[in-house]
Amino acid sequence: MTTPTIPAAAATGSLLGNAERGPTDHLAGAPSRRGKAKTDPVYYLFLIPTLILFTLAITLPAILGIFYSFTNFIGFGDWELVGFTNYIAVFSDPAILSSYLFTFGFSIVTVLIVNAIAFLLAVALTSRIRLKAPLRAIFVIPMVISGIVIAFVFKYLFSNSLPALGAATGIPWLQESILANENLAWIGIVIVTAWQSIPGALLIYIAGLLSIPGEVYEAADIDGASTWVRLRSITLPLVAGYVLINIILGFKGYLNAYDIIVGLTAGGPGTATRSIAMTIFTGFTGGDYAYQMANATMFFIIAVLISILQLRISRGKAALS
Amino acid sequence: MLHRKSLLSRVSMTVAAVLGTSIALTGCSAIGGGGPTEITFHMSKPEAIGFFRDLTAQFNEEQSDVHVTLDTASNLSAGFLRGDPPDVGLLNYNMEMSRFMERGALSDLSDMPEAARIRPDVQELADQYSTYPGRTSVLPYSVAAASVIYNVQMFEDNGLDVPETWDELIAICETLQDAGITPIYSTFSEPWTIAQGLFDYTAGGSVDVADFFDQMNELGTEVGPESAVSFEKNFTEPVEKMMELAAYTNDDAASRSYGDGNVAFAKGEAAMLMQGPWALGEIAKTDEDLELGTFPLPATDDPNDLKVRVNLDLALWVPEIGDAQEASREFVSYLMQQDVMDEYNAQFLGFGTTTDAAPAEDERILGMQEYYNDGRFYLGPSQRVHLSIPTANYVQAIATGADIDSTLSRLDADWARLALRE
Amino acid sequence: MTQEATRVAPATATSTSTRRRGKVGQETTNWPLMVVLFLCALTVLLPLYVTISMSMKSSAQSVDGNALSLPAPVDLSGFARAWELTNFPVAFTITTLVTLATVVGTVLLASLASYAIVRNWERRLFRWSFFYLLAAMFVPFTVIALPQIQLTGLVGLANPVGVTILHIMFQLSFSILLFTAFLRSIPLELEESARIDGATTWQTFWQLIFPLLAPMSATVAIFAFLASWNDFMMPSLIIADASQQTIPVVQNIFQTQFSSNYNVSFASYLMAMAPAIVVYIFTQRWVMEGVTQGAVKG
Repeated sequence: MTTPTIPAAAATGSLLGNAERGPTDHLAGAPSRRGKAKTDPVYYLFLIPTLILFTLAITLPAILGIFYSFTNFIGFGDWELVGFTNYIAVFSDPAILSSYLFTFGFSIVTVLIVNAIAFLLAVALTSRIRLKAPLRAIFVIPMVISGIVIAFVFKYLFSNSLPALGAATGIPWLQESILANENLAWIGIVIVTAWQSIPGALLIYIAGLLSIPGEVYEAADIDGASTWVRLRSITLPLVAGYVLINIILGFKGYLNAYDIIVGLTAGGPGTATRSIAMTIFTGFTGGDYAYQMANATMFFIIAVLISILQLRISRGKAALS
Repeated sequence: MLHRKSLLSRVSMTVAAVLGTSIALTGCSAIGGGGPTEITFHMSKPEAIGFFRDLTAQFNEEQSDVHVTLDTASNLSAGFLRGDPPDVGLLNYNMEMSRFMERGALSDLSDMPEAARIRPDVQELADQYSTYPGRTSVLPYSVAAASVIYNVQMFEDNGLDVPETWDELIAICETLQDAGITPIYSTFSEPWTIAQGLFDYTAGGSVDVADFFDQMNELGTEVGPESAVSFEKNFTEPVEKMMELAAYTNDDAASRSYGDGNVAFAKGEAAMLMQGPWALGEIAKTDEDLELGTFPLPATDDPNDLKVRVNLDLALWVPEIGDAQEASREFVSYLMQQDVMDEYNAQFLGFGTTTDAAPAEDERILGMQEYYNDGRFYLGPSQRVHLSIPTANYVQAIATGADIDSTLSRLDADWARLALRE
Repeated sequence: MTQEATRVAPATATSTSTRRRGKVGQETTNWPLMVVLFLCALTVLLPLYVTISMSMKSSAQSVDGNALSLPAPVDLSGFARAWELTNFPVAFTITTLVTLATVVGTVLLASLASYAIVRNWERRLFRWSFFYLLAAMFVPFTVIALPQIQLTGLVGLANPVGVTILHIMFQLSFSILLFTAFLRSIPLELEESARIDGATTWQTFWQLIFPLLAPMSATVAIFAFLASWNDFMMPSLIIADASQQTIPVVQNIFQTQFSSNYNVSFASYLMAMAPAIVVYIFTQRWVMEGVTQGAVKG
């Protein structure tokens, strides 16, 4: 699920741009020439089928799902309206609350790690080194690999290779698979998620770093600034916008974590690594359609709130620059 | 109140109208024209896929009215939700299915002669989950009796006899451990293996499972610290025993999977394995000649308490909404032929569910035959909890170190909460 | 403005960096940094190496727990087993068709809709449609998955066709955003002259606009490809018949059946990864530019 989320979240960053720019551009641009001329019916042909399909595929299920969250539908047979019963139950369900806690905690940690590594890698890949192109090409590979498949590979490494290594070297903490430990399994998920999503963030940072004019650094060189100072007080502020994009992108993607968890721990040990998506789907498999739709609706509201927050932040950022 | 189903049907008609072309292109191959009636047959027990694939092919060959397609991996909840469940289901009977059954999803098969052949005490197992008034919705097909699988050679080498009391069992573990043998091989990385193994054996061996769950269902939302029965109250002791046994398992249990366990056990890495008969076939894949036996886990100090854990490993049902009832029933009859059932049970080490079933002959499960004949069995308690409560995961958590009391009380709280929104 | 800035970014970028490097001096390659980077690259390559080497081991060697050892002897029977067990050719064909149809469908529907929206921005229907279609970015699949299972089942789309349609729908928002931004940068004069020559809207789009959109179409296509090819969640829930599943789902279905035949399971993983990696190797420049361009927009 990591790859598809990049575009969705990436685009929201620019939603604001279009929304603000759009109308003015257009009042000044194309249409004014033809004035109030009748719209060519072909334009409707271009748009309406897509609109209808979109409504049926996205809007209708959303409405239907919200409606069912107020029923006791199990996915089959009769049902009754039950008001807010499901929502009340959701709020007091430790399984659901802990899945939110896990998902948010995991997302925050992963965002931090991914951005730190991707940023440093990007700095390294744009500095005075050789073999830039092949190195960059290698670092991007994980982006094109399916999350669940690479999770299976890592699962083998975590539960067979590392313990074998631990046994051979006599290092005790290596001998137990981290995936089998309730308190550590999440680390495995963070590692694999980071492995897979660093490339996306990396490419964005590289673009950001390359957009900084060389003169900025020349001035710093004259002042004799150390590498670290240069990085912190020149580079970082100049790519702040890119950092923001990456953080928002990543966070929204990680909230939907599913594939990699299915492949690595299937939510275990115990229920230690159950994400929100996983709780919804396993609950449904157990015949909890309406109840999990209440959960999904809550999740939807949270996703919208985050998006609004994100719009405000980027608006603030836009106002600054 | 809204008129039920009207919303859905209206929605579906609109959608169908708009997407008409794509439907015409893809679905509905069964409708229209001559040819055999197409039905789908859901059978997802991994070990038995080959057996039923051959059987299905044979059925398709023998007659031309019905064509059966085997479906081994679809999601049943999704199938019912789509309004397109398989036409015939043959699978492990559990709370998930019983919940659909409760709402009338499965048709009445009581008028089929096959229904009359089922042993009453076995049919009663299905009814323990739930019933739909006036219907026999489920035909038990094979019962898996599960108990402790042991390495006969290792027991003999150490002069051990099959234990009949808890103390004897612990003594055996001690002896084995002293001899440098891992007493029990566990695979905690897969929650179901602990839930159906150690947990069900210790709990089922000491708690009256049917009675307990009757009372729990009665209590519903009132289950909690104060209620007459609860997991915390009735299961703490068995779970403590479970942990006592867990101490005798392999050190890397937490990262071993079901498959690892079968291979390791076949290689003689441990003396006992808490698995059902399905594992025996897998073990034989690694070492065909390994001599194995089974005995019910003694969870108390009274040999009269000995019972084996059973589950309806396979049960047949036909959904109410299937549009090929006749064809489906024809196939059910085919599957229910006594020699077919006997062959299945012989091959997969199950016990027959019918009054005229052939007795088990395989010595690996002979140890359980008398218990099964006498009706000294219980349904695994982990199977009696609704699937939306992650019982197996809770048990896994306990096995890997979580607190027993708080985990069991969480199970109680989940039970009460589920009852609230039922 | 934005898209021009980003589009030229790679070009200016290389020139700035050359300039910078030129000033500082060509000879001062940062060798310690290179070592660090090589080590980092190893963490990317190691799981891939393990996958390849494990897949070529014999069953006996694959269970010895040493993931790093080279296959000795090289035994390709794992591939044959995996090929047969997972019915790879079918899964591959289905996944390829779903992905191709998603890519083509996304590019076509999104570009047509974007063109209609941009050229009729003053009309309320088109303007509102833009925001309506964009709103889907707030709706993760997780949220509407269950009703979608229900609805696709009702209309006979619980199959790869249904997944393709949903993939396209979920790609629309982002793709329309990219296309509309790009379309606004195309000078209207170009179109006017075509119209004077008597071209209809239909002809103008296909003969003039669509070719001009090519770079943006490539970006949209790359995102659609990655999202569709690797998707696990949606096909696993939507497609009813397991024999019509896509590659990632097939991997999950057979994960238990591989049990401890690691050479077979890794051969299967490798076959699942390889197509996307091969495509990437041949298109890496476009992929990198496309992703950068798509993500940095705005």
